[in-house]
Amino acid sequence: MLFNTIEFVFFLPVVVILYYLLPVKFRWIMLLAASYIFYMAWKVEYIFLIAFSTMIDYFSGIMMEKQTEKKSRRPYLILSLLTNLGLLFSFKYFNFTSSNLNSLIHFMGLNKDIPLMNFLLPVGISFYTFQTLSYSIDVYYGRQKAEKHLGYFALYVAFFPQLVAGPIERFSRLTPQLKMRHDFTYENLANGLRLILYGLFIKMVIADNLSAVVDKIYADPSQYSSIDIIKGVGLYSFQIYSDFYGYSIIAIGSALIMGIHIMDNFRTPYLAKNISEFWQRWHISLSTWFRDYLYYPLGGNRVVRQRWMINILIVFVVSGIWHGANWNFLIWGALYGIIYLIEKLINDSFKLEKKHKPYSFGHLALAAKTFIFVTIIWVFFRSQSFTEAIAVFKFILTNGNTATETLNLPISTLIFLAIFIISDVILYNYRFDKWSGNLPFVIRWSVYSVLIFAIIVFAGVDNFPFIYFQF
Amino acid sequence: MLKMVIKIGSRLALLGIILVVMNWIYTRFFFEKDLETFAPDLRKVRVVPQNTNILYIGESSNYTYREDDLDKRSISDLMNDYFPNLHVSDVTKPASHSGIYKVLLAQLPTDSQISTVIVTLNLRSFNAQWIYSDLETQLQKTTVLLRPFPPLVNRFMLSFKGYDIKSDDERIQQFIKKWERDEFHFPYRFPFKNVKEWDNWMAVNGIKDENGVIDFDRTALACHYIKAYGFQIDTLENPRIKDFNDIINLAKKRSWHLVFNLMAENTEKARELVGDDLLFLMEQNRDLLNSYFSRRGVVIVDNLEAVADQEFIDRNWTTEHYAEHGRKIIAANLAKAILQYYPNEYSAVGISYDYETYFFNDCDNGETWGPDQSISSDRAFSGKYSSKTGNGLKYSSALVYPIRRIPDSLKREVRIHAMIYQESAIHDDVRMVIQAEGESVDDFWRGFEINIPEEESRKWIPYEIIFTLPKEIYNANEIKIYLYNPSLTTIYLDDMEVEFLE
Repeated sequence: MLFNTIEFVFFLPVVVILYYLLPVKFRWIMLLAASYIFYMAWKVEYIFLIAFSTMIDYFSGIMMEKQTEKKSRRPYLILSLLTNLGLLFSFKYFNFTSSNLNSLIHFMGLNKDIPLMNFLLPVGISFYTFQTLSYSIDVYYGRQKAEKHLGYFALYVAFFPQLVAGPIERFSRLTPQLKMRHDFTYENLANGLRLILYGLFIKMVIADNLSAVVDKIYADPSQYSSIDIIKGVGLYSFQIYSDFYGYSIIAIGSALIMGIHIMDNFRTPYLAKNISEFWQRWHISLSTWFRDYLYYPLGGNRVVRQRWMINILIVFVVSGIWHGANWNFLIWGALYGIIYLIEKLINDSFKLEKKHKPYSFGHLALAAKTFIFVTIIWVFFRSQSFTEAIAVFKFILTNGNTATETLNLPISTLIFLAIFIISDVILYNYRFDKWSGNLPFVIRWSVYSVLIFAIIVFAGVDNFPFIYFQF
Repeated sequence: MLKMVIKIGSRLALLGIILVVMNWIYTRFFFEKDLETFAPDLRKVRVVPQNTNILYIGESSNYTYREDDLDKRSISDLMNDYFPNLHVSDVTKPASHSGIYKVLLAQLPTDSQISTVIVTLNLRSFNAQWIYSDLETQLQKTTVLLRPFPPLVNRFMLSFKGYDIKSDDERIQQFIKKWERDEFHFPYRFPFKNVKEWDNWMAVNGIKDENGVIDFDRTALACHYIKAYGFQIDTLENPRIKDFNDIINLAKKRSWHLVFNLMAENTEKARELVGDDLLFLMEQNRDLLNSYFSRRGVVIVDNLEAVADQEFIDRNWTTEHYAEHGRKIIAANLAKAILQYYPNEYSAVGISYDYETYFFNDCDNGETWGPDQSISSDRAFSGKYSSKTGNGLKYSSALVYPIRRIPDSLKREVRIHAMIYQESAIHDDVRMVIQAEGESVDDFWRGFEINIPEEESRKWIPYEIIFTLPKEIYNANEIKIYLYNPSLTTIYLDDMEVEFLE
């Protein structure tokens, strides 16, 4: 089920009403059922994957806790890792690996083919897999007690607001909240609705309208002038941001209405002064996951400089591959790693990034530089292949004014994009719910009215699923 | 608690007021533009003239795109011939179906003069592949703003995808499942349980040519016919039935005479490719629709088998696109069916066949095959003129005719007869030429020697050949028949006959 559909408009209120009507001890049953229904609205069969993953991790967790020795816990961790990563590999990376091996086999002159699998990628598999992995690893290291209640554990894995596109929550943060009694409060309702409203606005009005323009450019950049391709590339930065940010805050808002606080996933990333800060502000739940479960175990920065640099590159490359089974995602991740290291080395040598006050010239100049880097790197992310990404750059350099098509951005989209950018600057230190909640009543309701009107009247009407669903 | 209820209640009331104001703003300033953008078919309804008496609503079957149709008018336009004092208009929405027609018909102004509505009843639109077609999402989208709710509510539904929205893959899965799920019920033993089994069997066994080799094109077409017509309508489940019932209810409200035009399908081809079992299903569905809707007071015009194979424009696919004669037959059948409503307005119009099989050219005034430089008064076998070639005039008067308009069965052979006068011995390069060309055929050229002995020179000698036309040129845009004379010898041609034979 998508957040920006009529189904969810009815689904959420029903769930919230049932949630508050039910006694606390039965709420998990309703939430779990709702979460499974939410997922099955997309594809019924794939709920068994979630259930299977849940059972394995639940069992592994309990068995690990029973073992006193770390060594005897290891088989259960391996079971969990193999199950989760095996599922992820089978559905997401098998075809990528096979086709690359096939190329290698053909290159070696052999006439054999590894067959490809014709499965639909289960929506959100990368998200819930990482969520359960973090639990198993935490139990293994003794940082987390195993959950004895299968229902709550299943709900942790499948909690519908963040099931298919995050934020990737930690067990220690989410599950206690799921067990806790939450009474209905006007504040939670209002803040939750504010976030949902703003999330729908930036997804439906900004992202979806930009998608209509950007998709055309990427479909055939050869048809557009260099300046239009550059504009399209730039607009994609805002499209993906508003798309994913929109999803995240709708998820946060939906949970908040039920009194459950999900972690923030974005903090005005395009105002980051460097790539390091960008990743502290962009898809925070994934960045922190990689930090805790990959970067630190690799030794983090408590190693020699060369090893640290390799660690950084590994983390970014893995992050790229997490996003998609394609060489362009790997390159996308690697480029972040390389720029991260270059920035770090330059900054360490010349101390260019001394503390700048927010919105100062220095801050904005550095943010502009970061934005340009990120925008260029997004080309690899948005393109279907490495070759296509290179073609985009080639056409930017060679097309000049030659064009058979022109980029037509509706004036309404341009105005709303400007509003979004300004509001993002304003929200540098706030979240929309808190910020709008503090506005005077008339202004607050005027803001709501504009957002509601924009969502209804100016939403993109084609079927644009959330971009991160494919991961 | 009460305080909170009051607070929420007051906010909801305020939101209600805001939405009412928004609805006014939207209706006043944005709705029309949105209608143009997202419901472009509404324009088709709005341009229906106020004085329309008979409205014809249907999909692209109404029109033709066949180049060689002399009369390119649509079925609805052809109907005007039968009712010259009435006004027949159409609303044509390609690739559409009753679910869309009902929405469009509801948009007709209540004060219009329309008294009869003819709706196309397309048998294929009841099949799974059409019901779950990948076009459906786009079609449904165009109807959202036309729903009978306040404009802002409709726009909300459009923005929040409040219509049947599914990915192409989901729709494919739907009709594949239906092909597996729906079992056939024949009154006799039939070897296949469902469409999937039938289709698989056909795909594996194929249609073989005279050498026993599988003809893949014909096999693929046969499979397509099985999937297009291999179904049995369930009146309780099939969504088209509900749509047509909604149209019936609307017609009752508007006091329209309602006519369902059961469209012609290429039953000849279905029988030829798949056999009588498929025909049985088509006829069974036809009978069901006939009786079901007749009982509800609708006039059904059964055109299912009214159009012959050669009158279908797409003969290598299942569509309801008809050539001129096919459209004329349908228009005539419809006119006869609604004659009861307009007995004093009806004017009997015979259906003229739009092809000829016999051509004659005596090169005299008014009888030539179009203006050409070869016409000469030097000598003639009959009348005053003949067609003169030689000495640089390479081509005689030529018959140029759209051969594909002639039914296949009537053009197996061509007989060419002419009177020829040669000044001296005919050069070897002189030929009677049959040439065919067109987009869908390879260019064809065949020259026949003209063996008239030298001693027969300076006399009018009859010349005749009969040639079996290759099937490959049946669909050619044009066939050209002429004398080709690149030599210096003067040759006259007169009283040339060309006849296509069964």
